[in-house]
Amino acid sequence: MALEKELETFRSKLQELTAEHEGKLVRIHGNEVVDAFSSYADALKAGYSEFGLEPFLVKQIHAIEQAQFISRFVDPCATRRTI
Amino acid sequence: MPHFTLSIGPNGPLLGALLGVSKPRADALTAAGQPIPQAVPITGLIDTGASCTCIDPSVLLTSLSLTPTGSVLVNTPSTGATPHDTEQFDVALVIPATAGATPLLFPTIPVISSELLVHQGFHALIGRDILDRCLLVYDGAAKTFTLAF
Repeated sequence: MALEKELETFRSKLQELTAEHEGKLVRIHGNEVVDAFSSYADALKAGYSEFGLEPFLVKQIHAIEQAQFISRFVDPCATRRTI
Repeated sequence: MPHFTLSIGPNGPLLGALLGVSKPRADALTAAGQPIPQAVPITGLIDTGASCTCIDPSVLLTSLSLTPTGSVLVNTPSTGATPHDTEQFDVALVIPATAGATPLLFPTIPVISSELLVHQGFHALIGRDILDRCLLVYDGAAKTFTLAF
């Protein structure tokens, strides 16, 4: 299951993350919130530098996440699936 | 200003682009002694109704062997009123300009994985995250569109 553990960590710590880093991008590896960044490219670069090809999550911190919208009929690939 | 003008076909405003692994992932692959997958030529539909760029999983998972590094909520007509958690991947995207001009380059950009695109005649929806960097002129009467950046 891709990033399941990291997403659980994100959700469990969202309240404190929001208080400290609203709008920033957090980097999570397993159960550990590593740090927060202002730019997506910086967060990715730090993630690959530290964890290589191991799974890690980069996600923007918002108390209420605004969904992306696609008006065309497509089937978004669910996060919780085996790949 | 680099730009190109293309015809609008039956499937809409389609363009060619190159999709590859992001620079940070390429560096990680090199450090791990693994080969870097070749960038893949793709066909993308310009879609102002897509807030983010979407790529068919056949390109992300099979051609580029990517693993997700993100997850975002997505609403589509198929998800109904409840948005779905959707896998997000980091990629590099190049949209060529006319010969000799600087291409539109995104060294590290997040995209989401969406099925059913190839069946509709293209690999990608070029969303507003990319169009926000461009000037798009859609000339329906002349059946052409121009993208400048």
